[in-house]
Amino acid sequence: MTEALVGLGLMMLLALVRIPIAVSMGVVGFLGVAYLRDWNFAPAMAMVETKIYETGRNYTLSVVPLFILMGNFVTRAGMSQQLFRAAYTCIGHLRGGLAMATVCACAGFGAICGSSIATAATMAKVAYPAMSQLGYSDRLSAGAIAGGGTLGILIPPSTIMVIYGVLTETNIGKLFAAGILPGIVATFLLCLAVQWIVWTDPKSGPRGERSTWRERARALRGVWAVAVLFIVVMGGIYGGVFTATEGAGAGAFGALVFALARRALTWPTFLDALIESGRTTAMLFAILTGALMFAEFVNYTSMPNDLKAFVTGFNLSPIMVVAAICAIYVILGTAMEELSMILLTVPVFFPLIVHLGLDPIWFGILIVVVVEIGLISPPVGMNLFVINALLPQVPTPTLFHGVIPFMIADVVRLGILIAFPAISLWLPSLMR
Amino acid sequence: MTAQHSQAGIWLDRILGAAAAMLLFSLMALTTVDVIGRYIFNAPLRGAFEVTELLLLALIFAGLPLASRVDEHVTLDFIDMALSEKSRLLLRRVVDLICGALILALAWRVFVKASKIAGYGDTTEVLRLPVAPFVYFMAAMVAITGIVHLAKVIFPAPPRAGAAFDPDKPSST
Repeated sequence: MTEALVGLGLMMLLALVRIPIAVSMGVVGFLGVAYLRDWNFAPAMAMVETKIYETGRNYTLSVVPLFILMGNFVTRAGMSQQLFRAAYTCIGHLRGGLAMATVCACAGFGAICGSSIATAATMAKVAYPAMSQLGYSDRLSAGAIAGGGTLGILIPPSTIMVIYGVLTETNIGKLFAAGILPGIVATFLLCLAVQWIVWTDPKSGPRGERSTWRERARALRGVWAVAVLFIVVMGGIYGGVFTATEGAGAGAFGALVFALARRALTWPTFLDALIESGRTTAMLFAILTGALMFAEFVNYTSMPNDLKAFVTGFNLSPIMVVAAICAIYVILGTAMEELSMILLTVPVFFPLIVHLGLDPIWFGILIVVVVEIGLISPPVGMNLFVINALLPQVPTPTLFHGVIPFMIADVVRLGILIAFPAISLWLPSLMR
Repeated sequence: MTAQHSQAGIWLDRILGAAAAMLLFSLMALTTVDVIGRYIFNAPLRGAFEVTELLLLALIFAGLPLASRVDEHVTLDFIDMALSEKSRLLLRRVVDLICGALILALAWRVFVKASKIAGYGDTTEVLRLPVAPFVYFMAAMVAITGIVHLAKVIFPAPPRAGAAFDPDKPSST
């Protein structure tokens, strides 16, 4: 136990002096493995060689660049505009309708994009001007974009789910299927949060104009591409027609075709989408490889067993353990970057989850939800940084104030998902 | 002159950028053709699985120096708030020196791994593609990444002050 904690502390120390997390984790993993073998460096070096090679040459992981590429193409294709217009013609006339339309458009965008940051960024550009024109308060509009944006990683595809799946050897297709119903619950709760805000402060979200059915039909026709992409990719993976990698490849290709058909792609933006996806992939693999080296060390220490003994000794019920883990994550998530938080802690907690007989898929969904909460919890939340950068006219205190109702909605959702595992597990249980 | 704008750096970005773009495009095209071939024409591509693996390997490691060039790796930035502009720059240089040294050491181990694989004459199962060249490529790219970090010690890029989020910087979450 002690050596694992010292390792964790050392890793945090290195990270705090700005050494990249990937390098910090790799170095500590290397030193840790050497230490456990009485400072024999040969096994540690062999471990490093094997990890870097096996992470690179791993068929399952090819979903990562392909889904990132799909997200980059759909972002450039301007599909967020269409989604927002469709949602707005349907519910824009309600009180707070535009904010709810933002949340729904985020959910739709999340269905074809695996990144919350990208979802929030693209929606900030589309939804904020519309809301501000109608006189929405900055508090409500910025909060709705930040909160809705987090749906990007819950509704499949999802980069975080892929990383969790690789780290824990959980089926990625099933994780994706498990995210769908919680995503619907989340959309509903975020809309409730909007309603709560306009109920306490009716001036913050005035009604928009009611659209005619003809306008609605036309706007809905604009989003057929999104629906087709989602149904083909996720339906294909869900129905077992293709593997996650094949779905991702076909999805990226489909997104490219749509972007070309909409004439949204020039040669430079096309190249840019490819290169940017390549860089993001490299960055993700660097941190994943580092995390796997670190996990190798942690697994050799007594920490996983000590944690099991601790839980058994206190006679804690599994549900309490899960609730405690989630509480730790929510607290850590306010101050830590979420991806490194997951990579660092999942190797520690996961053996315990398996030991308690809990479903790894369910735990994966809970992990995604705590990451979502972390993304919008001040002071360190990536979605808040996105909005800060893209909407400089919204003062930071207003933004922090604005996300609170949405954070509460997220915490309620976390509670619901812990209490009713069936919401996450029903769809994957139907898969072959 | 900074490393960001040196001639060598620009060429590195161009060549590796083109390579990464081609690799990723091939990865996408290969997967798509494989899926269409299998389900529509009932004719899967032989060994697509293996080529996918090797393309992925090459893509990741071609992208690595690019990610290091633009400082895209995940870091905790709290310390920047406590430091002056000057000490921030100094810290960057020290960190890049440490990273460069460690990554070069890693390149050496990958090179050793590559020569082991070359020694066994490892090939893929179906297409009998030799694996060693890809691992040598890996080693070379890791070494270039190390050199990119060392170059930043000599020509540091100006630290992006203030902005905690750069909209052009892609992210994982």
